[in-house]
Amino acid sequence: MANKKVNKKDIAKLLNQWRQQFTVLAPSKENGVAQMAEWDGKDTSFLDWYRNTVIPPKASFLPPMEEMFRFQKDKEGYHIELPPTNEHKQLIFGIRPCDARAMTILDMTFEEAYQDPYYLSRRKNAVLVGLGCTNPCESCFCTSMGVSPTESTNVDLMLTDIGDQFLIEVVTDKGKELIAKASGLKEATKDDEAKAKETKETSYNKITRKLDTEGIVDKLQASFDDEGFWEQTAAKCISCGICTLLCPTCYCFDINDELVRGEGTRFRSWDSCGFPVYTKMPMENPRLEKWRRVRQKVCHKFEFYPMTFNVIACTGCGRCIRLCPVNWDITQVLESVPVKTGVRK
Amino acid sequence: MEQKLRQEAKALLEQGKVDWIIGFEPGSLKFTTTPLITKDKNDADRLVINPFIVNNLADFLPEIKGRVGIVAKGCDSRSIVSLIQDNKVVREDVVILAVPCPGIIDLSKVERLVGKDRDELDDVTREGDKVIIKVNGKKKEFPVTEVLFDHCLACELPTPQEYDILLGEPRPPAPNLEVSGKDIENLKGLTPEQRWEFWGNELSRCIRCYACRNVCPACYCQRCFVEETEPQWVMPVPRWQDNLLFQIVRNIHVAGRCTDCGECERVCPVNIPLRSLTREMYDMVDELFHFKAGMDKEALPLMTHYEQEEAEDFFR
Ligand code: SF4
Ligand code: SF4
Ligand code: SF4
Ligand code: SF4
Ligand code: SF4
Repeated sequence: MANKKVNKKDIAKLLNQWRQQFTVLAPSKENGVAQMAEWDGKDTSFLDWYRNTVIPPKASFLPPMEEMFRFQKDKEGYHIELPPTNEHKQLIFGIRPCDARAMTILDMTFEEAYQDPYYLSRRKNAVLVGLGCTNPCESCFCTSMGVSPTESTNVDLMLTDIGDQFLIEVVTDKGKELIAKASGLKEATKDDEAKAKETKETSYNKITRKLDTEGIVDKLQASFDDEGFWEQTAAKCISCGICTLLCPTCYCFDINDELVRGEGTRFRSWDSCGFPVYTKMPMENPRLEKWRRVRQKVCHKFEFYPMTFNVIACTGCGRCIRLCPVNWDITQVLESVPVKTGVRK
Repeated sequence: MEQKLRQEAKALLEQGKVDWIIGFEPGSLKFTTTPLITKDKNDADRLVINPFIVNNLADFLPEIKGRVGIVAKGCDSRSIVSLIQDNKVVREDVVILAVPCPGIIDLSKVERLVGKDRDELDDVTREGDKVIIKVNGKKKEFPVTEVLFDHCLACELPTPQEYDILLGEPRPPAPNLEVSGKDIENLKGLTPEQRWEFWGNELSRCIRCYACRNVCPACYCQRCFVEETEPQWVMPVPRWQDNLLFQIVRNIHVAGRCTDCGECERVCPVNIPLRSLTREMYDMVDELFHFKAGMDKEALPLMTHYEQEEAEDFFR
């Protein structure tokens, strides 16, 4: 399908059409922190302030906490009640390319490695409408992670800023359906295409933070037992959960039961390998020392994930850098991994 | 000040007076610094002192083995003293490199003031009582009180009292409680029901990253009550009720040890105004027990001792 375009001032109209069928989520600061939240039907001021959200869009698929089921206990035993089936027809408007790629990375765990019904029920019914970056953050390094700040690979529709309008690329069948349901869109002209190309180039060149990932798996393997390096790397980390809980590709969760007078709920909630009590429930945490936990975080993303799925589990969104209480910078850490010969097997 | 710090730090390591230096070096983003924790005397040249040395480095002391030379602003020095009072740190094992502190710049306030994110600013510099913010090549000037952290505006001890090496001219305290306590006063003006609603809303954002706890020098428990499972005091899921309970209990646990360093509020990734709780607790401790944390290393810790006149009537 040929590309379309929409006036920026008509975005509300467009979203309202989609709102007939979907729960539309868009960037919002309403609740005190930037995140994807249910759109109110009128406010498009995010088009002015939005760079990226603090809470990654993964929260719409793997929420910070959710009820897995409820249960009752009586003389006969346990009775289980599943949560009401919800179609979760979410349309995420304005997802950034880095975060859209993160969703593809999460699919590898929740769909390929095993089938997670909670995640997949949301994911299957969702559509992603991407919005290319024109004003990336200082901490962004997507271009080093194989993501361009305006690319359309992991979304259904992709919008690119061309002045008073957005160019719309139709990427998937789901995207085609969305377009079919929308009125008031115009065909993109050659001129629009040229402008979009220019925006894309300019945005790409605005990313100044770079990370060289050449041979990173081998380097990390060779340095796995270098306790001195990891201790030094971990020294200033305070073992909080910011860089993992708010990373768009991190997916660890914890499961807890709450039982009150025979009525119970099983919850799952975000967890982090950075916490000293991680995996405390089934066993002791094998990574008691801080440096082992920091090593786990780095290696999971840059060594184990590539070995399992052939992709690095980092998209360069930069959240872990800009939100870290001590400015622990993943790009600096990876650049400082010692180059060693004699790969550990 | 910076030159003197570098020389002193280098000398301390060279002469074997300390095993470690903990200070600040330039961070990887604009207007940031990052903790430098090192044994290497050559690293001393990277040490900096500037209006962005946000972290309370006392947080690292309990976990570091050996003698430590540590850079401390006023509030940080109080946290060190508090740790000494609690027997978490041995006085002889620390060399306090004291920074007379003119206040730290709160970049969130700067962002609100000029309507730009921090990485979009060309420059932020302090000149005496003024701060000069350069955006899009244009300079804007503001009174520095508009951009300092609230806890800096309330600072009672800008220059450490307990120190080994003083790095500059001592600065007298000049607290501006009216400005620094505005948010808390506003909250006090609400009805209890309104306050309950306010905190319910704020705490509903909490993601239980525990950054507020882990960054806090007063929170040094090996096993925090939130992580106890037998019995389970609070659910580890981020429900607002559990989040509120976590903060309330945390506040009670740091009462008498919280020095109002402001770190918990600064690091919260979802902007929960935690200082409105911690500072209120700080003032209550002062009012009820005439106790200010970390002011006197000989004083007995608030929660471990008891005086006759503290007793409630029903207690006597
Ligand atoms: S956010 Fe920073 S301090 Fe917190 S765990 Fe990550 S690296 Fe450590
Ligand atoms: S590791 Fe950091 S930069 Fe990479 S995806 Fe996660 S939060 Fe983003
Ligand atoms: S990392 Fe890239 S894609 Fe993500 S917000 Fe920054 S510029 Fe945009
Ligand atoms: S509770 Fe907050 S303000 Fe008080 S000492 Fe801890 S980090 Fe500092
Ligand atoms: S720092 Fe904020 S989000 Fe994290 S646990 Fe504390 S209150 Fe919750």
